Amino acid sequence: MKERLLERLLEVANKPFEALKDLRAKKKVIGSTLADVPEELIHAAGLHPFLILGTNEPIRVSAALMPDNCCSLARSNLELVLAYQPDFFDGFVLSQVCDTTQHLCDIWKRRFQDRYFENFLAPRQVSRPSARQWVAVEMRRLRESLGRYAGRAITDDDLRRSIRLFNENRALLRRLYDVKRRAPGLLSNREFFDVVKAAFFMDRSEHTELLKPLVQWAEGEAEKGVAYGHFPAVVAGIVVEPPQIYDLLDEVGANVVADNLPTASRYIYYDVSEEGDPIEAMAERHVSRPNFSPINDQVERIYRDLIELYRGYAAQAIFYIHIKYCESQDYDLPDIKRKMREEGTPMLVVETEYQSTHLALMKTRIEAFCEAVLGRV
Amino acid sequence: MTMQGEKPKSAKELAKELTAQYLEEARTAHEHGKYVAYTTAVSPVEIFVAHDIIPIYPENHSVACITKRLCTELSEAMENEGYTSHLCAYARCDLGYRLVGKSPMGGIPDPDFLLACNAQCFTLTKWFEVLSRQYRVPLFVFDTPQWIRDREARKSIIRYCVEQLKELISALEELTGKRFDYDRLREVVRLSDEASRLYRKFLDMASYKPSPITIFDALIHMAITVYLRGTPQAVLYYRTLVDEVQQKADRGEGAVPNERFRLYWENLPIWFKFRDHFNLLASYGAAILTSLYVHAWSYEFDLQKDPLETLAENYVSVFSNVTLEERAEMALDLFERYSLNGMIMFINRSCKAVSFAVHELRDLLSEKTGIPALVFEADMGDPRFYSEAQIRTRIEAYLETLERLEG
Repeated sequence: MKERLLERLLEVANKPFEALKDLRAKKKVIGSTLADVPEELIHAAGLHPFLILGTNEPIRVSAALMPDNCCSLARSNLELVLAYQPDFFDGFVLSQVCDTTQHLCDIWKRRFQDRYFENFLAPRQVSRPSARQWVAVEMRRLRESLGRYAGRAITDDDLRRSIRLFNENRALLRRLYDVKRRAPGLLSNREFFDVVKAAFFMDRSEHTELLKPLVQWAEGEAEKGVAYGHFPAVVAGIVVEPPQIYDLLDEVGANVVADNLPTASRYIYYDVSEEGDPIEAMAERHVSRPNFSPINDQVERIYRDLIELYRGYAAQAIFYIHIKYCESQDYDLPDIKRKMREEGTPMLVVETEYQSTHLALMKTRIEAFCEAVLGRV
Repeated sequence: MTMQGEKPKSAKELAKELTAQYLEEARTAHEHGKYVAYTTAVSPVEIFVAHDIIPIYPENHSVACITKRLCTELSEAMENEGYTSHLCAYARCDLGYRLVGKSPMGGIPDPDFLLACNAQCFTLTKWFEVLSRQYRVPLFVFDTPQWIRDREARKSIIRYCVEQLKELISALEELTGKRFDYDRLREVVRLSDEASRLYRKFLDMASYKPSPITIFDALIHMAITVYLRGTPQAVLYYRTLVDEVQQKADRGEGAVPNERFRLYWENLPIWFKFRDHFNLLASYGAAILTSLYVHAWSYEFDLQKDPLETLAENYVSVFSNVTLEERAEMALDLFERYSLNGMIMFINRSCKAVSFAVHELRDLLSEKTGIPALVFEADMGDPRFYSEAQIRTRIEAYLETLERLEG
């Protein structure tokens, strides 16, 4: 039953370009990058929003375009569109959150001069009222631009319909996460996060239709009993790549009960209000989301939010997924580690990068941490 | 400023005196009821000056540490605390200095307030976040979205930036308990404008043939505009400097004997190789004359406008925050005005903000000018990431190529 319900979702999550190869025949596909591009706007313009999450295939082209101390997310995003999927996308909306992503926009734009291209200039501070005003202005600019490209203005009603669709989808994912928390073993970490990932790629209505029976099944099964031998854990970071990291967490019995990932909780836990002006509602959601390392907010949130998740969900450990050369995480990590030591909170930093071939080493580190720190053998 | 009968001071003497005064004032700020704010080299510092807040630039202090060859030692100290050697050498020197206390200039005072302007880079925001946690002082991020080429977007960006400057002023009023004086800001912006225009005039003297200055002069003399713009002292200093260099130009004196190659430099300098590079290049009759980096402080404020608006316009449009195409155009303007015939494109491990698109920039510049480029990777501050023999050989090979092309 479970396999059947999950089949299409996992196929899309793991081989999106094969599973969705007929996508362009139906709609124009607009690729966006992390983080926070308002995909409801793309959808409301009658276009297909597709979140570009890099590739773990070998790097062949982008190494010559950016220095080696560029994070592998940026590098492999560029690699994906230049080397592996040059024809998949009709256009792009790229988000600028740091120096790397800002330059990436310039390089990218020059390589795709025949495609639709927009920057999404999200505020890089969210602690003051000006950020909330600015993001609404920037969303309106994007709305106009997408409307021009699509050949039709995006009306408030179009946008409200898209918001409702995305809210419904996020609500179902939240219910599924809730089941996963209560009933570890029902869905593996890999399965759950793959289901979330599929949403970023496929048609959102189709994803919702696939989710409904899955959630129904999971909620029914959850009542039957709880598997034993798992321990609750928090995952922190930006992306968890390669996705086999989730498999490694599954192997040691970690049940991820909370996270601050822009590719998971930071996305699914916050809805857009369906009342009032839709752009204002989206702007409100934008600034009220949890801390995201590159975006300046109250400076202690880098560890305070994690401690709250750890305590709030009675977790036993935090796994911090550190993408090598992510400058933002590089500056945060020593203070986060120090704070966790002071608090006595077990945290393992897992350093990784796309194309990582060190999974065996990673496995050993995760196992050693579970044995030595958590006393799990 | 000069007593009757007293010989006017040279720019060099003035620089020494003004720097000593500035540091003394910063060190005794609290004794005089003043506040110290750390800020980025590119930031609307005029607001601090108008509010009697003394700006301190940890980056400048780090440059002093680097030129005294302290970078590796300070960097290793912070690496022992869990930071990585991939970070900006300025940040590494600064965070290391805070651990071991070593400084070539007796250190800098601790901050009461932090301001990071991300038109310069993202690194400073994250570095100052660390300091904000360490000193428990507020951090204000002046967020400057990329200065994209879209007229309407630019208007909105300016409105967002002006709104933030108002927020900054409120934060400073809260810090000091003192009302902000907009008339004083107008005067400070006027002084900043005057000093900036003189500074630009000084930089533009590199267009003389032979050039009386090289980029190494610019790198030394930019210090005053970085930390004293908005004051009458900076105006006096640049007026003196411009007069001195003008006289040198009038005498036909070149900075390099038998000048043959007039080069563009991309990026920040390699601070600890300053003199070596100058000597090596000079031996071939080559001089690096300019870079976009030294021009980052040649602002032109519009005194007819609201001061917050002209501040926003100048700071958001700095070379590190424009699109790649616009940055190339800014560089091409220098190629044309300074009659440049060579370019050294340095990819600086420390500075992602300036380095990440250098390969693309090189393509654009070579395409438009037909001039070959030397591209090499190293670090502006840390000798561990500088391969002496390799880089020297490459510079020599490049200059020999230029010689062959010249025929």
